[in-house]
Amino acid sequence: MLLAKTLKSSTFRLALIAIGAFGLIVSAIFAYVYWSTASYVRNRADRAVVAEQASLRDTYTRSGRDGLMALIDQRTADKSFVDHVYLLVGPGSAVLAGNLKQWPPGAAEHGWTEFRAPVSSSASVGPLVRGMTETLARGDRLLVGRDISDLDGFTAQIRAAGLAVIVLIFVLAAVASIGVTRRTVGRIESINATSRAIMRSGLDQRIPLRGSHDEWDRVAENLNLMLDRIETLMGEVKQASDNVAHDLRTPLTRMRGRLEKAYHAPRGSETDAALIGDTIADLDAVLGMFASITRISEIESRARKGAFRTVNLVEVAGEVVELYDAAAEQDATRLRLAGEADVPVTGDRDLLFDAIANLVDNAIKHGRAGGRVTVTCHNVEGGAVMSVADDGPGIPAEQHDRVFKRFYRLEQSRYTPGNGLGLSLVAAVAHLHGARIELADNAPGLLFRLSFPAPAVGAQGG
Amino acid sequence: MTGAHRRILVVEDDAETADQLVDQLTTSGYDVDLAANGREALDHGAARDYAVITIDRMLPDIDGIAVMRQMRDDGIRVPFLIISALGEVDDRVRGLRAGGDDYLVKPFSFVELLARLEALGRRSETVAKETILRVGDLAIDLIGRNASRGGRRIPLLPKEFQLLEYLVRNEGRVVSRAMLLQHVWDLHFDPSTNIIDVYVGRVRRKVDDQQAYPLIHTIRGIGYCLRAPG
Repeated sequence: MLLAKTLKSSTFRLALIAIGAFGLIVSAIFAYVYWSTASYVRNRADRAVVAEQASLRDTYTRSGRDGLMALIDQRTADKSFVDHVYLLVGPGSAVLAGNLKQWPPGAAEHGWTEFRAPVSSSASVGPLVRGMTETLARGDRLLVGRDISDLDGFTAQIRAAGLAVIVLIFVLAAVASIGVTRRTVGRIESINATSRAIMRSGLDQRIPLRGSHDEWDRVAENLNLMLDRIETLMGEVKQASDNVAHDLRTPLTRMRGRLEKAYHAPRGSETDAALIGDTIADLDAVLGMFASITRISEIESRARKGAFRTVNLVEVAGEVVELYDAAAEQDATRLRLAGEADVPVTGDRDLLFDAIANLVDNAIKHGRAGGRVTVTCHNVEGGAVMSVADDGPGIPAEQHDRVFKRFYRLEQSRYTPGNGLGLSLVAAVAHLHGARIELADNAPGLLFRLSFPAPAVGAQGG
Repeated sequence: MTGAHRRILVVEDDAETADQLVDQLTTSGYDVDLAANGREALDHGAARDYAVITIDRMLPDIDGIAVMRQMRDDGIRVPFLIISALGEVDDRVRGLRAGGDDYLVKPFSFVELLARLEALGRRSETVAKETILRVGDLAIDLIGRNASRGGRRIPLLPKEFQLLEYLVRNEGRVVSRAMLLQHVWDLHFDPSTNIIDVYVGRVRRKVDDQQAYPLIHTIRGIGYCLRAPG
């Protein structure tokens, strides 16, 4: 099963193509080496034959047939000329001198020739001879050649070695590629198996790691992290929809009960008017919650980056402080703006206003009556920081992470108005602006800090 | 809008919503024409002169914005009130940029619609050139950016003055919280708190405390109205 998958896998096909190409190149190199070695050796032999022929021809011209015959006899007796072949025949093909018994049949009258010459009568197949023939002045024919059997053996050896290497390379490459592919297919198969398990049963499955810290482990790790994130998000979505269901059901139940009671009761304009007014107020609360949810989704979908401009954070914060001034006054809270006068960030003025307004609103609501709320804007190295601090009861440190989750409301604030979406919106706005959001203990009280990145170069002022 | 024509064109494809709108607008003293799609809207717009046209953003044939553009190209200067179920801020901005004069998100309260129609209808009348506006014994100086009652200066912050100015310009008309947010703070979303009420409350204390009669009145469930008695 794994082998079948291996043979079908794209890695294996790629490996085959690579082996094929590599093999072709190696074969071509060997062919070239073989061909050039063979022709080099043969050329050297040929040049020696041509020189020897010329020297014999000289002797023939100078000393006549007898002189040549004497020279040939001398050469054939000489041990250093052992691989040389000589033959001098008269016009009637009678052998005059040399180490061949007869003029080789099929040898050309003039020029290069190759033949097998039975030098000794016992050998059925003689050595391979390459030689040159020439008809001399008086009709005598001369053949000078060399035994090239050794040369032939040499090239045959090269050929054999080349073929062996090529076969070896193919075998090794095939084994290696099957091995590598099997490994790849095995790792992919384990990822596939986990994917199928997730589709079948749920998000709790994870891809097993081999502990080899190689790229496959890294892929598996990242996929596992992705699964963790998806699981968290799914959990949040479920939590949020449970909360939505709860928070929507409460006013809807109230409305239903009210309408049902009114349906059975006699019409009375006074009570009817109160009932209708209350129902509309409840409906508005429900619609407001929907509006907040869609607004957060819209911000989270990052659809608004196109509207980003350079915004002076202090101006926006100032407007918020001015808007909330009256509300703070009502709670006897001292709301003030502190920090620098010009703190540019790249962003969306409306969203920033909304986020700061939510933080200020929270600070006034959950801070101490008669306390202080301070909005501070500062330029810092590589960006800007905006913080909203109160001196109220604060939030326990272990609950800091949870306050940005949608609909999360601390038990103690269950009875203050608000739909629990404010800080989710702040978090969404911060995320869209690439800003880091932190909660800190203001000792006493709570401090929200938004750290913005430096304004993008080229953003339009406005 | 006394004296001026009170004819409104409602472009709405949902039959029940259209019925409710026609019914309530008629009760409020408007003459109402209804168009169920973009084509009818263009025909009506060309044939008659309207005080305001309310237009649904999503129509069965032509996009509401395209209808609006077409009418503007045809030289029709009537104010448009876009009514849409698409509430996203981007969508509002697109609608306003395309030539809409105001934007209302479904679902809306009828009083909110009426308040916006009144404000829009007034805009199509001639705009007064005066620099000092008066209501009863209140006078606001648009150049000096200050207000006084019975000759006594009222100390106001810039935004408070802007809010009062908006109320004075809409004297006798109901102004909703959303309209105040939009015109005074340039905010196109609802902070969903009672912040506006608190803010108006403070302006009201400054304007109405220890005076012969109150000018700023709360209209329950919708917003405020500035008017002198009698």
